[in-house]
Formats: sequence, C-alpha cells, structure tokens
Amino acid sequence: MFILFTILFQLIFSVNTFSNLYSDSFHEELLIKRLSSGHVYSYFQFTTLWNTTLDKSTFDHTHLWPRSLGEILGYHNVQELHVSLTQGLWRYQNWGYPVVEAPPGAELWVWFKPDTENVEKEWKLLAGALSGLLCASLNFIETSNSMTPELSFRPVGVADISNPVNSSFLRYATLPREIVCTENLTPLKKLLPCDSKKGLSTLLNAGYVHNTNYHSLGLHFRQTCSGKYCVNPVIELRQTVSLVYDLSIVEPINQDWSIRKLFGVGVGSGCPLASSSRIYVDISSNETGPVFHLTPNPDSVALSMRGGYQSTFAVYDISSAEKLFNINANYRKLSSVPLSYPPPLYVNRYIAGYGQERGRIVTKIHNKHRTPLKIIYLENIPWFMPIYYHTLKVTANNRNINPIQKRYHPGKERVRPYFLEVVLEIPARTSIEVHFEFDYIFLKWQEYPPDANHGFYVGSAVITCMLPVGRNYTGLPPEASLISDSWNASQQGYLVQLRTESLILTLPTPDFSMPYNVICLACTVVALAFGPLHNITTKRLQLVKLDEEPKGVFPFPKE
Amino acid sequence: MGLLTDPTTGQGKIIQILLNHHGKICVLLFLSSLVWFVLLAHNQFNAATYFSENALLPGLVKGDYSDDGVAKRVMEELEVEADAHQNSIPQSWIVAKFRQFGLDTYLHNFTLNYPLGKKQKYTGTNIYGILRAARGASTEAVVLSLPYRPPSSTNPTTLPGLALMLGLINFFGKQKYWAKDIIFLVTEHEQLGVQAWLEAYHGISCGLGGAVDYGDIDGRGGPIQAAINLEIHGRRLSRIDVKISGLNGQLPNLDLFNLVHRMCAKEGIKHTFYNKDSSSHPNDFVGEWRSKLNTLVSMVATQASGVPNGNHGLFHRFGIEALTLEGYEHGNRVKYITFHQLGRVVEGIFRSLNNLLERFHQSYFFYLLPASDRYVSIGNYMISLGVSVAALFAKSYVTWLQIQINGKRDTSKPKDDASIKTLKMVAADDPKTLNLVGVGSVILMTHFLGMNLLYLCQKFTSLGYFSTEDSLLVVLASFSIISLVFPLVIKRCFRISNNWILLNILALNELATLLLCVAMHNFSLAFIASTIYVLPAILIDSKKNSFYKKTLWLLLHPLLLLFWAVLFYTGFTFMDLSYLTILKRAVSATKTTLVLSVVDTFVYGSWPFTVATSILLPNWLMFWWVLIFSESRDCMDQASKVTKDKSKK
Repeated sequence: MFILFTILFQLIFSVNTFSNLYSDSFHEELLIKRLSSGHVYSYFQFTTLWNTTLDKSTFDHTHLWPRSLGEILGYHNVQELHVSLTQGLWRYQNWGYPVVEAPPGAELWVWFKPDTENVEKEWKLLAGALSGLLCASLNFIETSNSMTPELSFRPVGVADISNPVNSSFLRYATLPREIVCTENLTPLKKLLPCDSKKGLSTLLNAGYVHNTNYHSLGLHFRQTCSGKYCVNPVIELRQTVSLVYDLSIVEPINQDWSIRKLFGVGVGSGCPLASSSRIYVDISSNETGPVFHLTPNPDSVALSMRGGYQSTFAVYDISSAEKLFNINANYRKLSSVPLSYPPPLYVNRYIAGYGQERGRIVTKIHNKHRTPLKIIYLENIPWFMPIYYHTLKVTANNRNINPIQKRYHPGKERVRPYFLEVVLEIPARTSIEVHFEFDYIFLKWQEYPPDANHGFYVGSAVITCMLPVGRNYTGLPPEASLISDSWNASQQGYLVQLRTESLILTLPTPDFSMPYNVICLACTVVALAFGPLHNITTKRLQLVKLDEEPKGVFPFPKE
Repeated sequence: MGLLTDPTTGQGKIIQILLNHHGKICVLLFLSSLVWFVLLAHNQFNAATYFSENALLPGLVKGDYSDDGVAKRVMEELEVEADAHQNSIPQSWIVAKFRQFGLDTYLHNFTLNYPLGKKQKYTGTNIYGILRAARGASTEAVVLSLPYRPPSSTNPTTLPGLALMLGLINFFGKQKYWAKDIIFLVTEHEQLGVQAWLEAYHGISCGLGGAVDYGDIDGRGGPIQAAINLEIHGRRLSRIDVKISGLNGQLPNLDLFNLVHRMCAKEGIKHTFYNKDSSSHPNDFVGEWRSKLNTLVSMVATQASGVPNGNHGLFHRFGIEALTLEGYEHGNRVKYITFHQLGRVVEGIFRSLNNLLERFHQSYFFYLLPASDRYVSIGNYMISLGVSVAALFAKSYVTWLQIQINGKRDTSKPKDDASIKTLKMVAADDPKTLNLVGVGSVILMTHFLGMNLLYLCQKFTSLGYFSTEDSLLVVLASFSIISLVFPLVIKRCFRISNNWILLNILALNELATLLLCVAMHNFSLAFIASTIYVLPAILIDSKKNSFYKKTLWLLLHPLLLLFWAVLFYTGFTFMDLSYLTILKRAVSATKTTLVLSVVDTFVYGSWPFTVATSILLPNWLMFWWVLIFSESRDCMDQASKVTKDKSKK
C-alpha cells in the first residue's frame, strides 16, 4: 500500500514536473525593413518563454530552453542578462533606431539577484563561462574594466516591488576591440531548439551575415510575467541577430532585394518546435518613399499605430510552408535618391586635439525634437585615459548648460575605470556638446597589446532617453516579448539607449622593434662566435705532409 | 664647469693644435660639411628605398577599377557646371553627386579673419562625403582630398581630378572590403580650406589669434591615418609628379611615398619626383650624380621654405601622412595616362592603406630624396650639419680658451710702468672684466625686440597708413635700420667698455644651438642657414675686424638675405628682362613674400618667420655689436707692435 502510494505520489509529482517542463514556447520572427538611407535592416528574434520561476534547480531539466545557458544563469545567481556582440556601428542619423541597441564590440550587463553574496566574484566567473559559451573574449572582463551605472540601467524585466532597485547588483562592461565573426554565430545558433537545421535560422549563413555593414548578435534574458494581473512568473530568453545590408554592395545594378539575395537561400518551413514562425516586411515607406512590390503576396497585412506614427507590415506565416520560397521586393522607380531625415535624438563622439600630450573627448548630442529632452549620459572611460573632471562642460551654441545631476567616481590606474553619469536636459531643436579633457599616459611595456601602434579602444558612451514620439522607433515595449506585441503599443515614452562610436586612442608607444633588433644582433653574434669555437673545440689541427708537387701556372721553384 | 675652470686647460696637445690652427680647422670643417652634402647625391652615400611596413602589401591584389566611363561622363557634366560658377564652387552639384553615390555628405563653412590690415573677413565652403566602411565602426579613416579651382583661378584646373574622384566614389561604394571610412574632401581656397577643415575635424585652432574661424562639422570618421591629395590637370596626362614637402618642412612617412611609386610603377605610369623620374644612367656616373644632386637641392630648397607645396602639407601636423599626386596634361605624345590607369593607382593606394593595421610608424619620417627610388637617411645627412656646427663650437671654445690663457699671462707677469699700455690691452681679455652687464643688456635688448617684432608688424599694418605690403616693409626696414645704427650711436656718444669677447662667444653658441634645433624640425632650413652664416660667423673676431667683414655681415642681414633670394629667383625666372625691371619686380616680390610669411604664421602656425625674427635676427645683431665695437685693424697692429717691443726688451 505504502509502495503503491509512493509510486502514485511520484507519478503525480513527475507529471507535475513535466507539465511545468512543457509549459514553454518558442517563437521565431524576422523583421525586414528598408531604412530611409536605402539600407535593408533585417532583425531576427528567437524568443523562448517558460512559465517557471528561476532558481538553481530550474535548469536541471529543460525542454526548449538551452540548458547550457540556463545552467550558467542559475549557477551565478543571475536575475537579468544582456550580451551583445557587434561588428560595425549603428548609424542613428541615417538608420533611425534599431529594435535592440548594441555598441561596437562586445557588451555585457547583468543584474544579479539581491541575495548574491560576492557580486565581483560571480561577475568574473559568469563572464568567463559566457566567454566559453559564445566563443568571445568576454573573459577579459574584470573589475578594471567594468562598472556599476547608477542611473542608466534598470532591470528590464519584472522586479520585486518590495525591494528597491539596488544598483550595486548591476555590472556593466564593454570590450570595444572584440571582433565578431562566424565563431560567435555558430554557438548562438546552437542554443536554438532547431539549431540551424530548420526554420528562420537556416537563413543565417556566415558568408552572407558577415558581408553586412552592421551585424549584431544578442542574448537577452529576463524575468517577466504572464496573465492579466501579472501573477504567473515567466522567464524569457530573446536571441537576436540584427543585420544591415548595403544594397549597393549586395546588388549594384538595381535596388531590388530578396530573401535569396540577402541570405543566399530561400525560406523553408518554420522550426517544427516553434509556436509561431513569421516574417514581417515593413511596407510603410510604400506610401511616402520609393514604391516597391512584394512577391509572393503576404498572408496578411498588419497596421500598427504607435506613438503617433503609423506603420504597415506585410506578414508571412511560414510555419506551414511546404517548400523553399523567396520573398522578392521589386522597385518600380529608381531615379530618385531617398532623402533621409534624422531621428529625434542622435549622437556623435570624437577625440579632439592632436599630438600626444592632452586631448579632449567631445560628445555631440542632437535633439531634433520640438520639445526639450531629458537624457542620461553614461561615460565609460578606461583607466589608461585619465580625465579631468573639472574640465567637464556642457555647452549649447557656446552657452553653458548646467547638468541636472552628476555622478562621478574617479578611476584608478589598473584597478577601475572612470565612471561618469550626467543627467541633462537638451533644449528643443538644439545640439549640445559634452566635453572634457584627458591626458595621454605611458603604460608599462608589457601592457601594450600586439600591434601596439594600432591604438587603444575606448568603449561607447550610452545616452538614455525616453522619447515622447515613436518616429523611427522599432523597439519592443517592456511588457512585450514578441515583435508582433509591439504593434499598436503606444506608451508614455519610448526608451532608447543610444551607443556612441567607440574611439581609438593613440597612446605614446615605444619602439618595439628595438628588442627585436637586439635579438637579431645577439643571435648573429652568437652564431658568428659559435662557428669558430665549435671548430676549435671539436677539430684537431694536424700538420699534413704535401705529397704532390705544387701545380699551376707559376709553380714555386724547387730548392 | 670643471673643464672650463681647470687651470691645466689649454695645455693638452690637441688643445694646442686647436689654438694654433683654429682658423684653418674651422674652415676645413665647414668645407667638409659642404662636400659631404654634395656627396650624398651619389649612390654610394644613399640607399635604395624599401618597404618597412609589411602590412601595406602594396600591389598584392589585382586592381578592379575598370569603369572609367563614369569619370568621363561626369567630366563632361562637370565642365558645364564649372562654367556656370566662374568664381565659386558648384556646391549643390557636388553635394548631389556625392549623395547619389551613397556618401554621407556634409558641408563645412569657414571664415578667415585676415590677420593684417583692416581685419577683413573671407568665407569659404568645403564639401566632404564619407564612405562608411562596411567592415569598421568608424574608428579609423583615410582621406582623398582635392582643391577645387574655379575657372577664374590662376592655378591650373583640377576638374579632371574631381571627375576621377567621383568615378572612384562610385567604384569604392560597391566594394565590401573597406575597413576604414574613406573621406572625400573637396576644398575651396586652396590651402586655407584644408587647414580650416582639419582644424574643424580636430576641434582645435593652430594659428595665432583666431585668424581662422574653423566653424563646425558634423560628420567624422575617427582618427585619419593617411591622405592623398589629387591635382590632376587634364584628362590625358603625361606624368604624375609626387609632392611631399609639408608645412614647416614636415614630410610624410617614407613608406607612403614608396607605396605611391610602387603603385605607379605597377600600372606603368610615368611618375616623377621634382620632375625627374627614376631612370638611371649606369654608364654616366657624373651625369647621374648631377641629376640626383639637382633633385636633392630642389627638395632641400622647397623644404627649407617651410611652405607646403600642395594641400597635403597641412595634414602632417595632425599626424596624418599625406602627399599630393599632381598630373600634368600631356603635350602631343602618343602615349598618355588615362583615368583608368590613374584610378587603378589610387585604388591600389587606398587598398594598401585599408590593409594597414597600425598607424604609419615604421620606416622614415626624416629623410632626403635624391631620386624617387633612393633616399638619404637622417643618420647620413645630419653629419653635414653637425660638422659645420662643430666649426662654430670649436671657434667659440678657442675664443674662451684665449681669455683663460690671456688672464693667466696677465697675472704671471710682473707689473711694469713701461707696459701699462700693453696691460690695458691684455686686461681687456681678463675674465674678471668680461663686461657682463654690457653683454647681458645687449642680449636681452635684441631678443626682447625680436620677440615683439611679429606683434609690432600686425599692429602697424592695422593702423593703415600704407598698404599692408608697404607697411610691413616699413616696419621691418625701420626696425633694421634703427637696430643697425644704435650701436654706432652708443659707440660715438658714450665711452663704454670695448670688451665684447663674451658676446662673441655667446653669439657663436646661440647660432650653433639654433642651427641644431632647427635641424631637428627642418634640416633643409638649418643646412641652408649654416652654409650662409657659419663661415662669416667664424671669420668675425672679437678684437679686430676689417671693413670688408663688416660689409659682408651687413649684406647677410636676414631681411636683405630674403631680398637676395627673391632677386636671384626673379632674375633666374625672367632672364630676358632689363636689370631695372627685375629689381623692381624683386622688391615687390619681397614685399609679397613678407606678407605671405606673416600671414602664414597667423593662419597656419608656420614658424620660419617667427624663428627669423625672434632668434636669427637678434643673433645677427649680436654679431653686429661685436663687429662695431671691435677695434679696427690699424689700432690692433699698433698694439701688437708695442707688445713685440716689450718682449724684445
């Protein structure tokens, strides 16, 4: 009886477990949008949702969720994680805003759970584990290049209301020198339930992905909720790939594009494990810009009214597609060059000055909107670039602007970076300049990387702003998980976190060819000395009697 | 100081030789410096150029640029467009073309506040477009620039260069291998436009007193690593001349120069350096040496002026390696260079620059070129200057030793009533009576005036009594005359000590130091200055100087020197004119040169004028004081007779 009861109990328990295990879903989406500059932006989003709470044992059994990633998250007590690996720079001025923002190189920011004991240690270990998972050099992240922004980054997911947000559990780091390549794409695809065998991920062919002007891979993990009153906990993983194609490189003859031209293959059926597999093509520009025609006809057309701006999407549902097909966009008229108009807020950053004594970092922030905008400016200055805080100035047309708030932690050589956060209000239709001076310093000779004269990378600054309008905005609202959820989702404000250009800093560099010369010289000397010494010590000198008479034109006369 | 105060100084054998034969030694040193320089043109004393930076991989890929139809079509449009804008840049047309080819296009407005005269304002507009690299994040950039010259310009046209540039933009935009942003820059007002653009790009002013209001630019592409400037004068070219000399004598990295020559050679384009190609004459040693010496001297002369011989010259200050390709229109030759070939050369250069992982840091930044494929390293050419400066130091050391020895002789000799006269003479050399106050005040006065001369020039021209050119000449000439006459007046009116031996020593040392310092920046200028000043400075004696020496030194006054140079150049250029006309032209050309050099100082921060007025001129005046106050030869002869009589007794 007892045994029977136990079996029954186990059965119930395991069914319970399995029901929990199978309460997950996977969605794959592709958004294709022609940007106003003529580039084609394609954004893949693979979303895994799982109705479960997050603790260490959650990832012992997984179904659609990538277990390798899950284990890392559980083991290091992660509440929220955002990784991006990017090649190229998102050109806000010409392209508008992407769905997810990412700086050039690698970026990692993580919220640890409030019960984490040693955040520093977990941070270092987590970066190391992710480095192995994604084949990226994230293991170079350590305390000397990571920081704790106080204002710019908030948890994106659901946070505990009873616990106020404590930014000491946040870590942020960038590796601007990181080069993203196919070795990062492959591990990312391996995390998907269908790998790259079925579904939209078959489009991600390394040869085509890396031919783009911009490509960015991202992993975004957060905790959210479902239900009307947000009572059921959900964990969410979004794997994203953003690509921007320059059509003049892809197709120099005309401006037509198609799935096959962009990705090398047509689209097959969706991943069988996916709950939805859809392709959206933004056709809003058909009304104002160059007109194009899509073949085949879309399954449906969706209208989205958001932030005062209307967008139209052609929707293709590929989950039931039987064979490979191609989506083709043919342009009717090509004579005009589309005029790109800038988004409400964009930014440029550069190093001013010349020589190697003192420089100035200038960040120009342009507000093209008709109302003033409040922004948070987060500067991420590595320790080898000592800045002068007193030279920090914000000017608009040579007039000083007083920041609303300033946060500054001076850096320390080889220990921590310089952290600077400034809250500002940019007057309407104005460009402001934030600038401060810094010194060029000498490093220890072993701290120079290979190819030392290439320069040192300085990571992007982050400009955070709640935009009042949805123009050029494609990001998802905080409660949404899928692209289609963002339609008709008008909000109070639209959060953008612009990443500026990363900079190359030319520090004074010693002439590293000198040790090389010394080695060459020393080797030559050794080689020259070795020959005769070897001869003398190993060979015996003997007198040999000449038997033969000297021959030649003038033989010596005999005595 | 131990060396100088050591009582045994001057006793050594070498010192004795130096003391006895210093005149000959100094002249010998000076002559050997000249001989060494002349020898540098010989193949034994220079070396073949080579690539130091392997990452350039010059010419490793096959050039793809083949569609010169675009350039040719654009050229026709451009000619019509240029005719419609006789005095200005066809702004909207160029912007439209840049946009059409997919560049991020920007305008840059700048203003020149003319530093002299009535402070007039001139404005200009540069146009530039950035080709955003597909494989980069705008962290690095390279520049292809071009001075736009409207039809009314006196300089030869650059329109074909612009057509070629547009053809290249069309081609470059379709390539996916770019890792660095390529900036296409079309500037107005020749060098001023480039200077203003560079200042705006780097957000820093280089000139004095805000002469250039560089405005603001929006688009940037990270630090610029190299720049190529195009001056193409025709559709069909006979040859490409490579120009390298920059502001204040700065030169681009030798690797870039080599790269251009390698690419030209690869495409079979005739390329020259100072109008000479690299063809060698294996059997004609003298002819080859002379031709190389000619090129070498041309390069030294250009570099010494400190004025860039093309728009590339302004990039160098910002750590950007740059040079100009100047294409000369072909005459009636059958074989000519087409857009197609030239486009391939530029493509090859940019692809090599694109390969470059590190900034240019290898190879040479200091070099002289006797031919396009031979170079003289700094280690070789510095010897010639070092030797001639050594002559100055030797002379000053010997003079110092003579004071020491005379001082000792003075104290060792018993005092004698009969030798009072002699003693007076000798006492003049006594180290205890070195006339420190006199010497010090002369040095201070001359240098103070020299330093303020530039400011004086600007102030006086702004008063507007004369035209800018005349007033500048008036200021400089009157300053020179006053400073020349002043010691004469002092000598007449006041009885002051005639011991200026210390001034002579210090002047010699200053001249030597000046030459060495200038040589660190601009060898050519230092070398030319040394050939002019070293020998006369050695000949000047602190005690006796003939009238001829004074006249010679007077003729070498910096202002007169400029006039001689201009006169020589004018005479050489217009040989058929009468002497009077040449003289007139030379005077007006001198005035123009003066104005230009002052303006360059304010606008570009060029320093030859500043160095000339604040150090060279005061130094010249110090020697002038020595000459004026030294005894005339007759007086000295009498004194020496007395000394001899005394010794006989």
